[in-house]
Amino acid sequence: MVSADRITVAIDAMGGDHAPAEIVAGALATAAEIDVAVRLYGRVEDIMAHVPGGTLPAGVEVVDCREVIAMDDEPAAAVRRMKDASVVRAAQAVRDGEAEAMISAGNTGAAMAAALLRMGRIRGISRPAIAVPVPVPGSHPQILIDAGATVDAAPEWLVQFARMGRVYARVRFGIDEPAIGLLSNGEEEGKGDTLRKTVFELLRKEPGFVGNVEGSDLMRPGRADVFVTDGFTGNIALKSIESALRSLATLVFTTLDSTEEAREASTVILPLLLDAAQAYDPDLTGGAVLLGVKGVCVISHGSSTAPAVVSAARVARECVTAGVVQQLRETVTDAG
Amino acid sequence: MPAETHVERGAFGPDDVFAIIRERLAEILEIDEDTIRRESSFADDLGADSLALIELVEVLEEDIGERTVGFSFDDEDLAELHTVGDAVDYVMARLGTTG
Repeated sequence: MVSADRITVAIDAMGGDHAPAEIVAGALATAAEIDVAVRLYGRVEDIMAHVPGGTLPAGVEVVDCREVIAMDDEPAAAVRRMKDASVVRAAQAVRDGEAEAMISAGNTGAAMAAALLRMGRIRGISRPAIAVPVPVPGSHPQILIDAGATVDAAPEWLVQFARMGRVYARVRFGIDEPAIGLLSNGEEEGKGDTLRKTVFELLRKEPGFVGNVEGSDLMRPGRADVFVTDGFTGNIALKSIESALRSLATLVFTTLDSTEEAREASTVILPLLLDAAQAYDPDLTGGAVLLGVKGVCVISHGSSTAPAVVSAARVARECVTAGVVQQLRETVTDAG
Repeated sequence: MPAETHVERGAFGPDDVFAIIRERLAEILEIDEDTIRRESSFADDLGADSLALIELVEVLEEDIGERTVGFSFDDEDLAELHTVGDAVDYVMARLGTTG
């Protein structure tokens, strides 16, 4: 059933390692499974080749655009040069009110540049940042910001990231007074490189600042709700977590298949583990959100499959419904 | 002259272009317009990085393009724009060649 407040998401059909096949499949699943309309941006013939029966279902539209920004293109230059690129047109759709949110699994820098240049920046924000919810057993997620949008960050920008992370934690995850930690190489004051030490002093004046936090505080409740860092460090932290979780899963499954007794035990344990593991599956926990632009932009990981697209669409809908951008504009602009 | 590229003669002088650049740059960098001078260096004086410059270029193409059809920056020239004055001179030169 279609609700009156059904939103439309603009999906970059050409972005990602498995594009367009998995992206199109995800877009079709989005329209079928959740109350979201979809506009797919990309080469119409490439998209339609992956639509079963060659007929688009209700709630799905294709917008033909001829250019594609590759993973190795220089982002800002590519966005300027390729005005008909799928990711650029998707960002433009949000700017022009044709969609409430955009999703891309392609070149992250290009998605960021397209969103920045087409939607514009929120006043008080110099650079956008990627906010990723990191799962915490038995608790609400922690927010890691920035997970890779701005690699070379000025100290003041990290303060802006902290403000955005705090708003995002509050609006999207209902954390009343989010605690902000500065990701560093030790929790004691004075730890860190020059950037961290400068940011520490600036963050002292920010509400909710609890000091330095370490990588070992991630995925563990207690120390902080928002982990602030630059995009370079944040991306490494995120990829390290994802890799460690994959290795751990491999270890568990290999062990459960190692002996006759283990295989027998796994008939009981495995379903429970698989169920619990869903909370840690990037394909099922949704995309990261680019904060700081005047529209909702969800960045899905490069190897996104169809379920990841559906999940990203859920995140997009939550952000639109919760008014994340509006809250950021009101709170961060005032704080700036 | 191609039909899609023409300029309204007299539409922009160097002072007009400087005023537009100053206003737009102040918005992008969230600084006071009065701190922006022709001799200001984008990187050293104003703290504008390459992405900020591209933001500026995009809005200038939109603003100036409204009155000067076909106006655009050549991306390969951007690295040569070190100061606000460089940008003013560049825009004036492009307006000349556009017409």
